[in-house]
Amino acid sequence: MRAEPIQVRGRFLTAIAIRIEVDTPDASFFAALDEKIRSAANLMVGAPILLDFEKVPGFASRDHLGELVRAIRAKGLLLFGVQNATPEQQALAEEFGLIQVLVGRDTPVQQARAVSPRRSRLVAQPGNKVIHRHVRSGQLVVAERGDLTIIGSVASGAEVLASGNIHIYGTLRGRAMAGVEGDTNARIFCSKLEAELLAIAGLFKTSETIHPDLRRCNVQAFLEDETLHIERLV
Amino acid sequence: MTQLKDKAPLGKVIVITSGKGGVGKTTSAAAIAAALAKRDFKTVVIDFDVGLRNLDMIMGCERRVVFDFINVIQGEARLKQALIRDKRLDTLWILPTSQTRDKDALTKEGVEKVLNELKEQFDYIICDSPAGIERGAQLAMYFADEAVVVTNPEVSSVRDSDRVLGLLASKTKRAEDEGAEVKAQVLVTRLDQRRIDAGEMMTIDDVLEILAVPLLGVIPESTAVLRASNVGMPIVLDEPSAASRGYEAAVARLLGEEVDTQTERDKKPGFFSRLFGAPA
Ligand SMILES: Nc1ncnc2c1ncn2[C@@H]1O[C@H](COP(=O)(O)OP(=O)(O)OP(=O)(O)O)[C@@H](O)[C@H]1O
Ligand SMILES: [Mg+2]
Repeated sequence: MRAEPIQVRGRFLTAIAIRIEVDTPDASFFAALDEKIRSAANLMVGAPILLDFEKVPGFASRDHLGELVRAIRAKGLLLFGVQNATPEQQALAEEFGLIQVLVGRDTPVQQARAVSPRRSRLVAQPGNKVIHRHVRSGQLVVAERGDLTIIGSVASGAEVLASGNIHIYGTLRGRAMAGVEGDTNARIFCSKLEAELLAIAGLFKTSETIHPDLRRCNVQAFLEDETLHIERLV
Repeated sequence: MTQLKDKAPLGKVIVITSGKGGVGKTTSAAAIAAALAKRDFKTVVIDFDVGLRNLDMIMGCERRVVFDFINVIQGEARLKQALIRDKRLDTLWILPTSQTRDKDALTKEGVEKVLNELKEQFDYIICDSPAGIERGAQLAMYFADEAVVVTNPEVSSVRDSDRVLGLLASKTKRAEDEGAEVKAQVLVTRLDQRRIDAGEMMTIDDVLEILAVPLLGVIPESTAVLRASNVGMPIVLDEPSAASRGYEAAVARLLGEEVDTQTERDKKPGFFSRLFGAPA
């Protein structure tokens, strides 16, 4: 519809990380992987997937990685990269067409921020966002540097993300992800919970794992002891 | 073309859209266009569903198609040659589409040119959108002043309508140029009270709670619709039925008239109609 054949646009992408916890995957590892994928199929199928080597710097066998990549792809998952990989792990990953994704402290942008005081003041500026409308199916709203407040509902198939808290004065039917940069103190508040997914700092619950008693209630979600809790607000 | 009124035509573009296929867009486009024409507004209904032409069949003029919308866009025919005048109402016209051309034959510039020409002659320009949210559907809504979002009271249809409402708020000329939203209203069609009572279908209130836009009207599931479309008759030109009354009320509301929704929404069949079977 436009004259230019190509447009370049920045894209904020949510990926799912599979964090490996053992150096040498065995049969029980693969069984556990199958089970995880089955229980979170809604979330994982069709989403971009990363392998996270944070806990296993010693995972260095080409055969093991090959087996893992095949197993994941055989489930129809879109594995595209690795994170927290050592140089050896990166080299191995490249053989399987996996790219290295820089996260958290690894990202050059954040390093640059850290060395420049002017820049860090800029970053410290709050980036809270208030949306005065319904977020429709297929729409994505992101508050990259702060809280996100929605005065309206979030439809099934819509996604709202914030590095800080998320407040929804309406029904949450879609997905809400707070603390997307890793803030485990972030919370999600909504006046009526019918969510497809709630996530804080990467820990999530899907509609299947949210207790039915909480449905349609005014709730808050938060992390405690590395678990996502949902509590009714009265 | 003769100008019937001395006043300048209204030139209002209304898109009939839905996201999901087969929910009743074409049926509704034909009925709304005919109901507007009955009220003496000079009206044209355009088929944007390139390759799946069926507006002309519902309007009963498929054998009179010589040139079409695509021919006009590509400069192979003039608009005047492609417009077909309805045999029943002289205020009603149809611009059919091509059954053989590719969807890419529709261009934004071409559509704009044709719509601008139509606006100089017609009060209402009703655009029958294809299903989906791709190029064809986006072009059908792009130049709209108002939208009628057709929804069946079931989850997947409502969700697709919600998606379309999002596009109407962002991917239209109004939104891009003026940051203004296209006024959108929902038309619930194929409502089957028995299936709602049995819990198999969503209620109107459920639908409105999710979509959060005004209700234009409710059209019940009705065999009269099928019968009318088989003989190429827009439902509002056929014998009165619950469906034709629903469309007449929807058009009254489209024109800003106050119509009591309760009459169509909660009308329970009375004793006699229950005894003799409710009229379709
Ligand atoms: N109120 C109704 N009662 C019964 N049948 C209906 C009703 N409305 C539409 N239909 C039937 O549903 C079918 C689909 O209708 P229609 O072609 O208008 O839908 P559409 O949304 O235009 O479809 P498409 O997405 O393929 O363009 C037709 O067979 C039509 O006769
Ligand atoms: Mg159609």
